[in-house]
Amino acid sequence: MSAVTAEKNEQSHDDHHEHYEPFWKKYIFSTDHKTIGIQYGFTSLVFLAFGFFLMMVMRWSIAYPDRAVPLLADWPWFQAWLDDGGKVTGDLYNMFGAMHGTIMVFLGIVPLAFGAFGNYVTPLQIGAPDMAFPRLNMASYWLYLLGGVLMFVSFFLPSGAAKAGWTNYSPLATTTDIHYGNLFWTGQTQWLMGMVLLISSSLLGAVNFICTIINLRCRGMTWMRMPFFVWAMLVTGFLLLLAFPPLEVAALMQLMDRMAGTSFFVPTGLNVSGMSFDAAGGGSPLLYQHLFWFLAHPEVYVLILPALAIVSEVIPCNTRKPLWGYKTMVYAVMVLGFLAFIVWAHHMYITGMGPAISTFFQTTTVLISVPSVILITSLLISMWGGSIRFTVPMLFATAFIPMFGIGGLTGLPLAFSLADLHLHDTYYVIGHFHYVVAPGTIFGLFAGIYHWYPKITGRMMSTRLGHLHFWPSLIFMNGIFAPMFFQGMAGFHRRAFDGGKAYEQISTQVFSEPNSFLSNICEILHVIEPDAPLRMIDLNIITSGSAWLLAVFQVPFIINLFISAFKGRKVESDNPWDATTLEWATPTPPPHGNFASEPVAYRGPYEYSVPGADSDFSPQFESDPSSLAPAEEQTAKDEATAS
Amino acid sequence: MSEEIHDWGKHKKTYMMVGIALFFFTGLTITLALFPPFDVGAPGPTPGDYVLGLMVATIKASLVALIFMHLNHERGLIYKMLIFTVLFCVALMALTLFAGFDPILEQYETLQTTDGYLMEKK
Amino acid sequence: MEIPYEVTPRRDTGLYNSKLAVWLFLASEVMLFGGLFSGYVFLRLGIQDGVDNPWPWGLNVHKGYVWLGFINTLVLIGSSVAVVFAWVALKERNWRRFQVLMYGVVACAVAFMCIKSVEYHSKLTQHHGIKLLDNSVMEGKIVDGTDKIRFEADKVSFSLQGALPIFLREMAEDEFPELTLEGEDAEIFTSKGEFSKWFYRSRRETASALATERKRYRSELAEGIKNPSPVSVSTSATVTASKPFKVNGNPRTVIAHSDSAMNYRDGSKVEGSLTSDDVVFEIHEVDMQLVMPTKQRDSIIWEVIGDENAKKEFFTKQAKYYETMRAYYAPRGETIPEKMLRGHKLNLHYVHVGGDHGHDDDHSGESHDDKEHHGEEVHTSESKPSASKLEKDTGHHGTITVPRDKIKFMGNHGPRYGNYYAIYFTMTALHGLHVIGGALVLLYFVVFGKKMFLKNPEHLANRVEVGGLFWHFVDLIWIFLFPIMYLL
Ligand code: HEM
Ligand SMILES: [Cu+2]
Repeated sequence: MSAVTAEKNEQSHDDHHEHYEPFWKKYIFSTDHKTIGIQYGFTSLVFLAFGFFLMMVMRWSIAYPDRAVPLLADWPWFQAWLDDGGKVTGDLYNMFGAMHGTIMVFLGIVPLAFGAFGNYVTPLQIGAPDMAFPRLNMASYWLYLLGGVLMFVSFFLPSGAAKAGWTNYSPLATTTDIHYGNLFWTGQTQWLMGMVLLISSSLLGAVNFICTIINLRCRGMTWMRMPFFVWAMLVTGFLLLLAFPPLEVAALMQLMDRMAGTSFFVPTGLNVSGMSFDAAGGGSPLLYQHLFWFLAHPEVYVLILPALAIVSEVIPCNTRKPLWGYKTMVYAVMVLGFLAFIVWAHHMYITGMGPAISTFFQTTTVLISVPSVILITSLLISMWGGSIRFTVPMLFATAFIPMFGIGGLTGLPLAFSLADLHLHDTYYVIGHFHYVVAPGTIFGLFAGIYHWYPKITGRMMSTRLGHLHFWPSLIFMNGIFAPMFFQGMAGFHRRAFDGGKAYEQISTQVFSEPNSFLSNICEILHVIEPDAPLRMIDLNIITSGSAWLLAVFQVPFIINLFISAFKGRKVESDNPWDATTLEWATPTPPPHGNFASEPVAYRGPYEYSVPGADSDFSPQFESDPSSLAPAEEQTAKDEATAS
Repeated sequence: MSEEIHDWGKHKKTYMMVGIALFFFTGLTITLALFPPFDVGAPGPTPGDYVLGLMVATIKASLVALIFMHLNHERGLIYKMLIFTVLFCVALMALTLFAGFDPILEQYETLQTTDGYLMEKK
Repeated sequence: MEIPYEVTPRRDTGLYNSKLAVWLFLASEVMLFGGLFSGYVFLRLGIQDGVDNPWPWGLNVHKGYVWLGFINTLVLIGSSVAVVFAWVALKERNWRRFQVLMYGVVACAVAFMCIKSVEYHSKLTQHHGIKLLDNSVMEGKIVDGTDKIRFEADKVSFSLQGALPIFLREMAEDEFPELTLEGEDAEIFTSKGEFSKWFYRSRRETASALATERKRYRSELAEGIKNPSPVSVSTSATVTASKPFKVNGNPRTVIAHSDSAMNYRDGSKVEGSLTSDDVVFEIHEVDMQLVMPTKQRDSIIWEVIGDENAKKEFFTKQAKYYETMRAYYAPRGETIPEKMLRGHKLNLHYVHVGGDHGHDDDHSGESHDDKEHHGEEVHTSESKPSASKLEKDTGHHGTITVPRDKIKFMGNHGPRYGNYYAIYFTMTALHGLHVIGGALVLLYFVVFGKKMFLKNPEHLANRVEVGGLFWHFVDLIWIFLFPIMYLL
C-alpha cells in the first residue's frame, strides 16, 4: 500500500506550501496544534530536567548529610542557602523538595503527556485539521509558560521558592515566610499565583481537547474506532476539567489567607513560633486537604493515563497484533475516570476520619484497582504470542508494564487505613508513587518520543543511542526506587533532609542478620563505599548513586533527540512503523491543516495481522472492499448503539 | 434547519413567563426571610429556614437552567456531562462533610471552650 | 484550513463547537463554585460552639443592605431575560432590537457592580470590630488610624538579607528624615529611593562577603584544619535619624512593642518613643456569643466600656430575647437548648452604648450608621488606658479608648474578620469578576457584531447564545449567593 499513498502524499506536499507565515507566527505564536505540541514538549522537557537537578541536590543531602555539596557550593545564589560548611540546610531541602514535586507534576509530566503528546497526536489520530479552538490552544501554552516562569523566578526571591511540600498543606503553607514584609513577593505566594495560571491553562486545554474529540472526528471515525490513545485523552480531559477547579478554589483561598488575612484554613488559636497567629481563626486545615486531594488523586491518573495510552499504541504496532480487549480497555478507562473522583481521602486516613467514611474510601480505592489491573493485563496479553519487534519504543513500552505494575501493587497496602498508619509519609510512599510516575510514566513518554519522532521530523532516532539510553535507565531507575520500599517499611520518614540520621539505630538492627536477602543486596554498597557499615540508612548511598548515574545516562537521549533531527536516517515512507492509525496517513512532517485529502476511517484502530489480508497491517485509512457496510452506515449504527 | 421557520412568538411568551416567575420567586425569598410569620421553627435562623430558602433558590435556578439555557431542548450528550459534574460536585460536598464526622468518637468528644471549660458533647 | 462545525451543529452530537465548549467550561465552573459552596458549608457546619467565631446571620450583617442585595438580584434576573430576548432578536434578524437589549444587559452589569461596590465600601471602611481577651466582641468603628501603633522613631536596625525593612512602608510619605548609617562609612540618605538603592547594593555586598568567608571556611575545613575560625560577616545595619520621625506600626507587622521600641516581624527594630498605642473606638454594639453565660457579667468588656447603663441595657435585652425563646420552647415542653443561648444561632446580643436607649436593633441599618458619626472627636493618649471612660457625644454612640493589651483581634468587616466575611468577599468578588468578564464579551458582540451580522447572522446568533449561556450561569450562581450570604 504505502507506495501508493506515499506517492499521493508526495504530490500533495506541494499544494500545501501556498501560504507562508512569518517566522514568529509559525514557530512562536503559532496556532497549529503540532507546533504547540512541540513547544509544550520542549518546555516540559526543560522543566523535567530542572526538577531532576533539584532532586540530585536533595539526594546529596540525604546520602551525605555531613559533607559539603560538591561543585555547586561556590555558586553565589546557591551558597546563600547552604550552611557555613557548604552543607544543604533544611530550608533548601524543603524548597527543592516542594519544587521538585510541583515542577515534575505540574510543569513536567502533565504538559509533556497531555500538552505535548495530546496536542500533537490527538487531532491527527481522529483525522481533524487542528484542534477545535486553535487560538485557545495557543493561550493554554502561554499561560502554562507564564506559570512556569513565575515558579522558576520565585527561586530568586529573597524568600526563595515555596517550601511547604508540593501538597502545600495549610496552615504550614499559610504561615511559611510570614515574617517577610511583602508577602506577595514570597515564593509561597508565587507558588499559588503560578498554580492559578497553570490551572487556568489546563482548564482551557481540557475544554479544547474534549471539544476536538467529540466534534472533530473525521468521517467514519466512530467512538469505537477511536484509538485507545484518544480515549485516554478524552478521559484525562474530563479529569482535568472537573478536578482542577476545586484546587483552584483551594489556591484562591490560600492566597486570601496569605494576602488578605482570612482564615479559611487557619484554625482558632493557632500559634506560630510561640506567638499567637494574628487571624480570626475558625478555619479548617482539613478543608484544604480535601480540596487539594480532590484534584490530586485524579491528577495521578492524569499523570499515568497518557503514558499508558502511548504504550497501548506502541505495543500493538510492534507486536503486529491487535490490542487485546480494546473495548474492555475503553470501558475500564471510563470506570477508572469515574472512580478517580471518589477515592481522594485515602491520602487522609491519618487525619482522624471516622471509620465509616474511611471504609468507604478504602472500598472505592480497592475498587479502582480493578480497572487499572484490566488495563495493564490487557497490555500484557496483547504481547502474548506476537512476533515482537524490539524497537527502542517497544523496549520502553515493555519496561513500562512491570514498572507500572510494581508501582500499582505496592499501592494496595496504602489503600488500607490500617497498613497506611504505618506506611504513611514514609519512603515506602515515595517509592510507590515514583515507580508509577518515574519508570512508569516517564518510560511511557520516552516510548512515545521514540515512536512519533519519525512523524515529527521525518527522521528516525538512533537505535544504538536508544539502547544506551534504555538499559542503564532501567537499571538505575530500580536502583533508586527499590531501596525506598525497604527503608520505608523500616520506618524511614520522608522529607527528612538529613536522610534519616535519626534512624541510624533502628537500621543497624535490620541489617545485623547475616546473609539475609537485604544484606546480600547491600553488598553492592561495598563496591561503592568499601567502608560502609551496611545499615539501612546506607541504602541512601545506592539510591543517590543511582540517581546521579541515571542523570548521566540521559545524555545519550538528549544527544539523540537533537542530532537525529539532522543526522538521523530518513524515513522511507509516511508510515515507517507500518502502523494502522490515522496519524500515519499524513505527509511527513504533517503540514498546517494536517491531511492531504479528507481522511476517512474505514475500520477499527488496531487491525494488525487480519486473517486474509495482504499485509500484516490494515490501516484505518485504507478502504476495505470486503467491509460489509460503508463508513457512514457504520457511523449511524455505532451511534445508535452508543446512545 | 427548522429553527428558521420557528414560531418565535411562542418562545418569547415562555421567556416572559419565566422572567416574571423569577421576579416573583425573588420577592418570595425575601418575604420568607424578613417577615416573622414565615420564620420556621425557633426564632432566628434554623434548619427549616435554610431548607425553605434554598428550595426557592433551587426552583429559580432550575428555571434558568432549563428554559433560559435551553437545557430542555438539549440532547443527551450535555446531560450526561452535567449529570457527572453534579454528581462529583455533590460527592465533594457530601464526602468532605461526612469525613469530618466520626460516629464512634463523636460520643466521647469533648470541647475545649475558650475559658478552659470542658464541655461534654451530648 | 477550515475547522468544521464552527457554525452549523454536527449531525450526530447536535452541537456546534463553541456551544459544546461553553457547556464544558460551565461544567468546570460548576466545580469551581461547587468547591466554594462546599467550603461554605464545611466551614459553617464545622464551627465549634464557643470556640470559633460564630457564623453571623446574613440578615444581621446586612441589615439595611439586604435591599441592595435584593435589587441586585432583580437587576441580574432582568439582564438574563434581556439576553434571551436579544438572542431571539438575532434569530429574527432584528439588529436594532438586539442592540438595545444588549446595551441594556451591559447597563445592568454596570449597575450591579456599582451597587456591589457600595456594599464593599461600607464593610471595609465603616465597620470594625474588636475582640477582647476573653472573646467578648465590640462592634463599631475604629477612629481613623488609631489601630496603628503611633511611634516616633530615631533609630532603626535591620537585616541586610531578605527584603526591604518594613518600617519604610509605614513611615509618613512626606517627611523623610535624614538617615545616617552607623559605622565607618557613615552614609546619609535623604529619600526612600536613595535608601532602597543603598539597601539593595549592600545586600549584594553582604551576600558576596558571606560567600567569600564561607569559601575560606570550607577550604580550611578541607585542608584538615580542626577548628577554623567561624564565618563572621555582619549582616545587619543600623541607621539613626537626624530628627525623630513618625512611624505608624501596623499591628499585623509589629510583633512586639514597648515604650521605647517596636519590633517588626521581619526582624527589624525601631527605637524611639511611643506616641500612643490606644485604640479609639466608637462603640455600637456588644456581642457576647463567645463568652460562657455564667461569665458574661464579669467580662472585661464592661471594664473597658466603663458604663453601667450599657451593661444594664445589654442584660435587659438579653432577658427579653430569652423571653421570646421561652415563648417558643415552653409550650412545646422543651427547655431552651444551650446552643440557642450562646452558640452560633444567637446573634442578638447586641447593645447600644451611650445615649438613645430606646433605639431598636432592627432598624439600625448599616447605611444609617455611616452618616451619623462624622466629625467626632479623636481621642488620643490623654486618658490612660485603664481609666478609659465612656464619652458621651451628640450621636447615639459613645467613643471609648481600648487598651491594646486587652485586644485579641481587631479589624474592619473585611475578609479578615471571620469566615463568613472571608467567604462572602471571596465568592462575591469572584462572581463579580465573572460579571465583568461576561459583560465585556457581550459588549464586544454588540459593538463589533454588525459586520458579522450582515455576513453570517447565524454565526453571531450562535455567539450570543454561547455568551448568553455564560451570562445565565452567572445569574444562576447569584441566585444561590443571595440567600446564603444575605438572608440565612
Ligand atoms: C526519576 C527520577 C526521580 C527521582 C530520583 C526522584 C526523587 C525524589 C526524591 C528524593 C524526593 C524527596 C523525598 C522526600 O524527601 O520526601 C521526591 C519527592 C517527590 N517527587 Fe520525585 N523523583 C523523580 C521523579 C519524579 C517524577 C517524574 C515525579 C512526577 C510526578 C516526581 C514527583 C515527586 C513528588 C510529588 C514528590 C513529593 C514532594 C514533596 O515531598 O512534597 N518525582 N522525588
Ligand atoms: Cu490517591
